[in-house]
Amino acid sequence: MIRLVRAEWTKLFTTKVWLGLLLGACVMVIGFSVLFTSFAGNAESGIPAVGTPLYEKLALATGANANILFLILGIIGMTQEYRHRTATPTFLTTPRRGQVVVAKLLAYALVSVVFALIVVAVNYVTVVIHAGARGAAPSLNGDNLEVLLSSALALVIYAVIGVGLGALLKNQVGAIVGGLVYLFVVEPVIRSIPATSGAYKWMPGGGLEALTATFEGPELLGAWQGALLLLGYGLLAALLGTLLAVRRDVV
Amino acid sequence: MSDLGFTVEPGSVTGFLGPNGAGKTTTLRMLLGLMQPDAGTATFNGAPYTSLPEPLRTVGAVLETAFHPARSGRNHLRVYCRAAGFPLSRADEVLVQVGLADAGDRRAGGYSLGMRQRLALATALLGNPGVLVLDEPANGLDPEGIQWLRGFLRHMAHDQGRTVLVSSHLLSEVEQTVDRVVIVGAGRLVREGSMEQLRSGADGAGTVLVRGPDVARFAEVLRADGAQVVQEDGTLTVHGSTPADVGRRAFATGVELHELRSRTSGLEEIYFQLTSGSEQFAAPSPTVQEATR
Repeated sequence: MIRLVRAEWTKLFTTKVWLGLLLGACVMVIGFSVLFTSFAGNAESGIPAVGTPLYEKLALATGANANILFLILGIIGMTQEYRHRTATPTFLTTPRRGQVVVAKLLAYALVSVVFALIVVAVNYVTVVIHAGARGAAPSLNGDNLEVLLSSALALVIYAVIGVGLGALLKNQVGAIVGGLVYLFVVEPVIRSIPATSGAYKWMPGGGLEALTATFEGPELLGAWQGALLLLGYGLLAALLGTLLAVRRDVV
Repeated sequence: MSDLGFTVEPGSVTGFLGPNGAGKTTTLRMLLGLMQPDAGTATFNGAPYTSLPEPLRTVGAVLETAFHPARSGRNHLRVYCRAAGFPLSRADEVLVQVGLADAGDRRAGGYSLGMRQRLALATALLGNPGVLVLDEPANGLDPEGIQWLRGFLRHMAHDQGRTVLVSSHLLSEVEQTVDRVVIVGAGRLVREGSMEQLRSGADGAGTVLVRGPDVARFAEVLRADGAQVVQEDGTLTVHGSTPADVGRRAFATGVELHELRSRTSGLEEIYFQLTSGSEQFAAPSPTVQEATR
């Protein structure tokens, strides 16, 4: 299994996809942090003022917004095999295909730990500089550190979900578009409609919100429950994908 | 595919032939565990591919000439070195073996079709396997590349004792390379045997052409012996015999002959007969040929 995980890392780092996604995630989180801090204390925006614990909690959770890029990282990691038709040599090398999926889950989870720590570090530094310039840089106290690490955990889990979703759908463009539509259209609708908002806490977006600090919203699970729910979705998708899609004939 | 069964032996190159759509690629993918047959098994030294402990060390296969376009040829090979637990230096060795050493660091997306074939072959060679399975390996190769491939495959089989199975839809492409052929048409086995057997005619034994002034009497003699004979003016076509046997009988009978030779139809013609038209899939026996004349 270690061999297979290392093979996945070789695949990842011999193209530049990882660099684009990591830089994209950093740029994204810098943008969100700067915007958020700029409007902090602005009565119309509703964002609490710089220096308050709630502001710090929310500003340091913006890293979780990069979840979509980590989702894409996982999706590409799995679906590239089908898109570029390398599934044939990959499954010739490892005929027990479930092992390939497990290796990808492990490889992308571990790589995402490093990437996610970079993203939340960028988040923290950006907020420290910008909020510091506006009067009060957040300290790295226990609460703030917990927020940062929760964001990082969310990003890692989204990469796992991406691998699972990729295994289930196999089609790269379809999986990415489907993931985006789900996260930005379907879930917000479910979240906002009173009749369905009760179910929202059981959905991936609800799990993410539970794990990371957000504005007051619908009823949510506890942070750890949210994390387990998210991870469960990722592993369920990977399991179903292995059984239903990956085992299918490679034509 | 239905009811297809054949065995491939070490030390020889076996051609797996059939027209496009005959099911060659499907058969090879079933052989390698990439597709599931409804029934039946394919084994390498007695074990199915998916149960081989180190499949790349047993079988090397070229089924796909597609690669991640942004990854270099060398890195592509390194991925599978990692996955199979081979040292990364194997990637460099096989690049040299297939003549891609200078192109190893270029993106595979920029490779020509011939270079892709070579890279795919290099991937198959990573585990130094005893069995090579190649699907249309000559596609996209220039004449020089085809020449090289012929020599390479023969070296692999004859000098190194490996088992080589190579598919093609063109007999002429592999004619000079293969020792044995397995011919399929419409998903069924049409013929299996050595090139010699295929060359000598439809049924292993040859067809003999006889001309002379009094062949009508000789035809009676041969028919009395139980031979299949077709008479056309002063020419006899004797199926399932050899010039030596026919000549001996003529000498014993005292018949004057002006010509006696084995009628070898061109290989391409035989191959075409074997694979065209579904009624021919039952392997044209001499009686069938006679009936259609």
